[in-house]
Amino acid sequence: MEKLISKLTEKHILFTASFVIRLALVAYGDYQDRTMAVKYTDIDYHVFTDAARFITEGESPYNRSTYRYTPLLAWLLTPNIYLNMVFGKILFIVCDVLSGLLIYKVLCLRGLRAETARCVSSLWLLNPLPMGVSSRGNAESILAALVLGTLLCMERRAQRLTWAALLYGLSVHMKIYPVTYALPIALTLRTAEIRVDEAKKVSRFKKLVGFFVGFFNQDLLLFASVAGGVFFTLTGLFYYMYGWQFLYETYLYHLTRRDIRHNFSPYFYMLYLTAESTWSQWLGLAAFLPQFALLLVTSWMYYKDLAFCCFLHTAIFVTFNKVCTSQYFLWYLCLLPLVIPNLSLTVKQGLGLLLLWFAGQAIWLGPAYFLEFEGYNTFLWIWLAGLLFQVVNCFILIQIVTHYKPTKTPLRLKAE
Amino acid sequence: MYFKLFYVVSALSLFSKCLCLGEKDEIQNHCDLLRQWLAPSSVRVELNKKGFHREVTTTVEFRSKELSSVKVLLIHRWPRDVYVDPYQLASLSDQNDWKILLDSAIDLEVPAHKASGFVTYVYPFSTGPTSKLFKVTIPIHGRYHKPSFDGKMLKSVDIEVPELLLRSEKCAQLSSLEPHTVVDAPCTASNSSTCSWVKVKPQQDLNPVSFQLPVGDGSLVAHVCGGTLLVTMICCVALSKYMWKHQVI
Repeated sequence: MEKLISKLTEKHILFTASFVIRLALVAYGDYQDRTMAVKYTDIDYHVFTDAARFITEGESPYNRSTYRYTPLLAWLLTPNIYLNMVFGKILFIVCDVLSGLLIYKVLCLRGLRAETARCVSSLWLLNPLPMGVSSRGNAESILAALVLGTLLCMERRAQRLTWAALLYGLSVHMKIYPVTYALPIALTLRTAEIRVDEAKKVSRFKKLVGFFVGFFNQDLLLFASVAGGVFFTLTGLFYYMYGWQFLYETYLYHLTRRDIRHNFSPYFYMLYLTAESTWSQWLGLAAFLPQFALLLVTSWMYYKDLAFCCFLHTAIFVTFNKVCTSQYFLWYLCLLPLVIPNLSLTVKQGLGLLLLWFAGQAIWLGPAYFLEFEGYNTFLWIWLAGLLFQVVNCFILIQIVTHYKPTKTPLRLKAE
Repeated sequence: MYFKLFYVVSALSLFSKCLCLGEKDEIQNHCDLLRQWLAPSSVRVELNKKGFHREVTTTVEFRSKELSSVKVLLIHRWPRDVYVDPYQLASLSDQNDWKILLDSAIDLEVPAHKASGFVTYVYPFSTGPTSKLFKVTIPIHGRYHKPSFDGKMLKSVDIEVPELLLRSEKCAQLSSLEPHTVVDAPCTASNSSTCSWVKVKPQQDLNPVSFQLPVGDGSLVAHVCGGTLLVTMICCVALSKYMWKHQVI
């Protein structure tokens, strides 16, 4: 009994402490904004608040230049105008702590002991990076909570499939990148082909037909209709309210985005130099193909471990994307705690990879600073640093893939 | 009796003439004072900070004594190589002693060759009763330019000296201030009406202030494309190979 109480207390301490620390950061941020020249609050938060203000005045949130999100976010933040501007930040830190709770629950369902699960969840709950991001007013934690919620419901899909579909549809509406999870989810929900005797020869054609027919089962059709229903209802509603500009700013801009300004992507300089040339479209396609091919391969190889598959999907999507900013890293970092318990890396190796990742970013940030704030022409160095960062990311992903031991039994790992 | 009426009427008309003359005198005084303000005054433009984010500081010093009814207007004509962030300006507005008006919407992200120049109207207000010095600092940001194919690593951007305009609410006869040019411009930053302003001739012909922005090297396009696609292909193949070897069955 005492042990149980102490466990509960510990759990409550962890979640309470992580919320209190974030709240303190929000309070500090407010102080810094009022007293210092360098502001704590991110520019994005002002964009959200301005868009929410337009909504309270009965106008379109897209009147705010650079607002490229769903109107739902601006609607959620209207209390910023009616109550207090800090409301949005409170919402984001609540979602952040909720993400930590969802990580804990998923880990427990994947077979970890509660104590170990709490330890691993603290990698997110007590991590300064998500703390800083949410308290500065970025909305990434909402999406992290939605994606983790989808994964949690998928772990319990016998009872929670509709909820999984609902959360998934909502997450795709908010940001496009979770759409890549559609294939592994479909592969998970389909009726797997029955394993036949090796001796019995089944024609390739029959196998192929069997494969496709497997996609038409009740679970998958239910998931597709609920997720699709949520997505298209919201899209239809906002299209009716805000027209073409909603579609363009929320989705098309991100799909066709070619930021020629410097960013972490290895393609940035190539796209900048060829922005006006006739080769531009073909190069865009050439950049898209490796990303697309890798996502297909990942889906097929790892769909049986959905959490790991989604982590790899997002990490690959971000690493091979035509535009990459540090905000994108949170998309896969929120899934990393789900993967860590299954890694056979030592703590030293893990920390080494983490340092390597930070070093890759630092090597890029150096020339980027000199370009933007000192006016030196460091384009070539930024390009090379971007390539190096991509190699570092791939190396880390290869290490993770090589040292991953799935929890589900019985599974054979194809050893080297 | 008629003589009395005649004397009263002429006394009255003399009196009103005096009044009118008095008013005219007052207007003439204001216009004369305005003319004094039009005497050559110095306009200095300085550029601060480095890289893509700069500050343009315009300092105007008048020789005449301050007159509360004189309004000052600075018109900056900016090239398409730079832009100002209206949201940044709005957040700085309570710290400044001037108000700014933009003549068009600004696209914050488009490169220089797809952008167009724009005009800003800055209305400084005096900070004290004896001030004849106005200092306005506007933060500007450089746009990305087309890559160069002639080996030049930097592109020059010229910022012209702003036009200095004056008006006085109490001097409407701006024609009396010839040969100074009269220009129409918004009365205040709220842009609710247009007024006539007098342009101040600069002390001497001032050259524009210039700075440089880095541009990409277009001659390296083949190497950059080749190198980028090669590295990404190698990464793609390597990752696929290891995922195939360690797939979860």
